[in-house]
Amino acid sequence: MVPFIKQRKRKLSARWGVALFQILALIILGAGATPRVAVAQGGPSDGIVCTTGPTFTLTTQTGYIGTPDDNVVFMWGFSAAGAGFQHPSPVLCVNQDETVTVILHNTLPEPVSIVFPGQENVLANGAPAQPQLSGSTITSLTPAAASGGSVTYSFVANRPGAFIYQSGTNPAKQVPMGLFGALIVRPTRGATYLYQTGDNAFKPNTEYMVLLSEIDPALNQAVERNRPFNLNNYRPRYFMLNGRGFPDSIAPNYASWLPTQPYGALVRIQPYDATLNPLPAAVRYLNVTSQDMPFHPHGNHGRVLGRDGYPLEGALGEDLSFEKFVINIGPGQTWDTTTDWQDAEGYSLGNPVPITVPNVQNTVYGTFYGGSPYIGQTGPQPVGATTLNQCGEYYIIQHNHSLFQITSWGIPMTGPISYLRIDPLANSCP
Amino acid sequence: MSKTFTRRNFMKLGGAALAATTGAHLLPSSFNRILQPVHVVQGAVPEPDLFFAATDGWISLPVNPATTTIFHPDPLGPLNPVGNPFTTYIFGFRNVTGLDDTQIQNQKNKAQHSAPLFWTQQDTPFQVKLTNLGLALRPDLVDTHTFHWHGFRNVIPFFDGEPSSSVSVPIGRDFTYVFNSHDPGTYMYHCHVEDVEHVQMGMTGLVFVRPVQDGNTALYPSGTYVYNDGDGSTGYDREFAMFLSEVWAESHWADAHIQLPEWSDYKTDFALLNGRVYPDTLAPNGSIDPFNPVTDTNGDLIATPGYEHLQYQPLSSLVNCNAGERVLLRFANLGFKQAAMTLTGIKMQVVGRDATFLRNGSTSTSYATNTVSLNAGESADVIFIAPPYQGPGAYDTYLLYNRSHSQTSNLSAGGYGGQMTEVRVYPSGVTPQTGPNT
Repeated sequence: MVPFIKQRKRKLSARWGVALFQILALIILGAGATPRVAVAQGGPSDGIVCTTGPTFTLTTQTGYIGTPDDNVVFMWGFSAAGAGFQHPSPVLCVNQDETVTVILHNTLPEPVSIVFPGQENVLANGAPAQPQLSGSTITSLTPAAASGGSVTYSFVANRPGAFIYQSGTNPAKQVPMGLFGALIVRPTRGATYLYQTGDNAFKPNTEYMVLLSEIDPALNQAVERNRPFNLNNYRPRYFMLNGRGFPDSIAPNYASWLPTQPYGALVRIQPYDATLNPLPAAVRYLNVTSQDMPFHPHGNHGRVLGRDGYPLEGALGEDLSFEKFVINIGPGQTWDTTTDWQDAEGYSLGNPVPITVPNVQNTVYGTFYGGSPYIGQTGPQPVGATTLNQCGEYYIIQHNHSLFQITSWGIPMTGPISYLRIDPLANSCP
Repeated sequence: MSKTFTRRNFMKLGGAALAATTGAHLLPSSFNRILQPVHVVQGAVPEPDLFFAATDGWISLPVNPATTTIFHPDPLGPLNPVGNPFTTYIFGFRNVTGLDDTQIQNQKNKAQHSAPLFWTQQDTPFQVKLTNLGLALRPDLVDTHTFHWHGFRNVIPFFDGEPSSSVSVPIGRDFTYVFNSHDPGTYMYHCHVEDVEHVQMGMTGLVFVRPVQDGNTALYPSGTYVYNDGDGSTGYDREFAMFLSEVWAESHWADAHIQLPEWSDYKTDFALLNGRVYPDTLAPNGSIDPFNPVTDTNGDLIATPGYEHLQYQPLSSLVNCNAGERVLLRFANLGFKQAAMTLTGIKMQVVGRDATFLRNGSTSTSYATNTVSLNAGESADVIFIAPPYQGPGAYDTYLLYNRSHSQTSNLSAGGYGGQMTEVRVYPSGVTPQTGPNT
C-alpha cells in the first residue's frame, strides 16, 4: 500500500497570499474597466450560473480540484456536452412542467447512473426507472450506463424548487467522488419567484446557491490509483461550498485560477429599502453529504420558504415559513430561503457609533474591513496592510457551524465559508 | 507628573476622552496624533453595561478509567482550593464588571465555562466592553479575541465580532460592542477569532433578549414572556438557560502543551450542559447574576463549599419548580454535533426557534414534542407545565437529557455523566427565582 502522505499543518499564508493577490488583481483590473469582471461564459461574476435545457447531455469526466491547503484532489464529475471536467457538475435550470431529458454518457471504468430525488415518474430509456437487481441484491438505484455506454432519463419537472441530481450507482463512493449537481426548476409565474404560490419573490440577479459537500482524500486517491478503498474508513477531511473551500469560495464565478471549480459563493446585495431595494436575495441550500449541515448566516436570519421543492404553506395558503439563524440541512435535502439586510441603526458619520472608537494601533483589522464602522465609508489602514475592501462595503460571514468542518485537513478558517457582501445603495463600487 | 506613568494607564483608551488624551500627552509629540482615538464620544460616556475579560483557565471534568487517556486529565492542571487538580485547559470569558484594574489583571488564567449568562431588554441599547488579558499558559500565542452575538439580526460588521471583516481585540486592549436588540428570544455568544479553536476551548455562552411585553401581568400573572405574543401564550413562571457545549480532550491538551490538533479527527469526549456534566449539573450555582457579580477580594470566583472543583463552572442546570407552573427552558447548542434534548414524562411546547416566535400573523407553527433537536448553533425556546405532584418523597424527578446517548454518558461509570439534569416538581413551596437558573 502506497503510504499516503498527509499534508500536515501547511501554512495557510502561502495559499492566502496567492488567492488574495489574484482577487486583488482582478478587482483592480475590473475597477477601471467595465463594472463586471469578464468571465469565461459571459455570465455574472456571482450568483447561480445556469446551464439551460430542457435537454441535457452529461458526459462523465475526471479531473483535479484545488483545496485550501494547497492540495489537489482527483474527482469525477458530469459535464455538459463538449465541456471539460468541472466540479460540481453543472447547475441544470429548467421551467416548471417542461419535459426534462438527460442523456448520460459514461466514460468511467464502472457503471454510472443518475437519480433525481424529488422528481416523479422518472423514465430510463423510456421505461419507468427502477432499482436494478442481481438476484435479490440491488446493484443500482436506477438503470445505469455501463462503462462506455449511455442511458437516457426523462421526467416532467412539475414542481418548482431546488433539487439534487446524483449518481444512483454505488453512491457511497460515486457521490463523494463528485457525481452530483443541482437542478433548479423555475415556477411558471416567473424566474424571480421560488415557487408558484406564496410570498417568495426575490430580486433579479440575486439568486445564490450553497451546495455543501465533503471529500475524503483517501477515497479519491484510491480511485485515482485504481486501488480498493474500505468505505468503513471513510472520514472527510475537506468540506466544500459550491465545490470550493474558502477563501476560494468567494472568488468570482469562472475565476481563471480555479479552472475546474467554476462556481463562487459570494452573496452580493444592497441594504433593504422599501422603495429602492424592496426584494430579498434568494439563497438555495443543498446538502449532498451524509450528515446534517448547520449553516449559519451572520447578519440576518434566512427565511425558509420551502424544503425539497415543497413551499411551506398550509392547505389554505397559510404562511408556514420561518426564520432561522442556522439553516440545518439534512443529508440530501434542499432548503430554499431568502435573505436581506437592513440598516437598523443607521450609524454613519452623522450618527456615529456611541463608543470611543480605538485607534488603528490598538485594534487588529481584518482583511475585508474598510477601516470605518459605517457602510460606504473607508478609513485609514494599518501601515503596510492590504485591504480587500473596495468602497466601504460590508462583509458579513456565512459558514457551517459544525466548526471542525470549517477546516481543510486541520487548517482552520477554510472550507464551507462564504461572505455576504453589502454594497451601499448609492455607490461607486466596482 | 502627578501620577506614575504606567503602561497600563497609557493603554486605557476605553472610557472618557480625558483619560485617553492624558495618557497621550506623556509620549513624544510625534506619537501623540497617531495614537489618539479615531472617534471620541463627547460628553459623559456611559459605563458599559457589562465588562468581560477574555483569557485562559481550567475546569474540572470527571476522571475514571474509561476517560483517562494521555490527554485527560491534563497533568498541567493547577490545584483547586481544596487541593484537587483541575483537569481541562480552556479559553473563556469572565465578567469583570466593577472590578478595579488589579483585580481584572488577576483574572488572567481564571476563565469560566460556560461564559457568563446575561440578557438584555428589547429596544434598549446595551454595551459589552471586552478586554483581552492574554493566555497565561501560552505566552507564545498572541490571539486577539472578539465578541460575536450569534443570530443578531441586521448587525453591522463593526459590532459582529467576526475578525476578518472588522476589528478584533489584541492583548492588553479593549473594545466596546453596542447591541440594540430588537428581537426577543434566545441566542448565544462566542469568540469568533480562530473560531474552531476558541469555541471548542470554551469561549461560549448563552444570551437572551426580554420582550417589551414583559411587565404586563394581564396576559399572564408572572408578567414574563418569551415573545411579544399578545395573548400570554409564551408566559412562564420560571426560566432556565440550558447551554450545550462539548470538549474534545485532545484539543484542550494540545493547546496546553503547544501542539496542534487535527480538527478533522474531532470527536466529543465530554458533552456539557451549562459548562458541567451530570451529576455536577445538579450542584448549586456560583455567582451567576451578571449585574451583581460576587467575587473575592482578588476578583476571583468563589467556590461553593463541597464543590470546589466547580469554581470556574458556576452555572447550575437543576430545575426546581412547583406543580402547575409553566417553566421555560432556553436551549442553545455551541457544540459541534447535533443534540436531541428529551424531557421524560413531560410534554414540551416549542414556542420559538433561533430567536423567532413560531407564529406568522395568526398562523401558529409552534409544536409539541418529547425531544428538541438542536444542531450546532441552533436555539430553541421550550415551555413545559410541571405535572401534578405524585410523590412519595419531597419532589418528583423527571430527567432532562440528550437522547444522543453517548453525549449523556461521556463514558462515565454507570452511564450517566453528560448532558443530563433533573426537573424536580414539588407540590408547593419552591420560592420564586431571583434570576435565571436559580
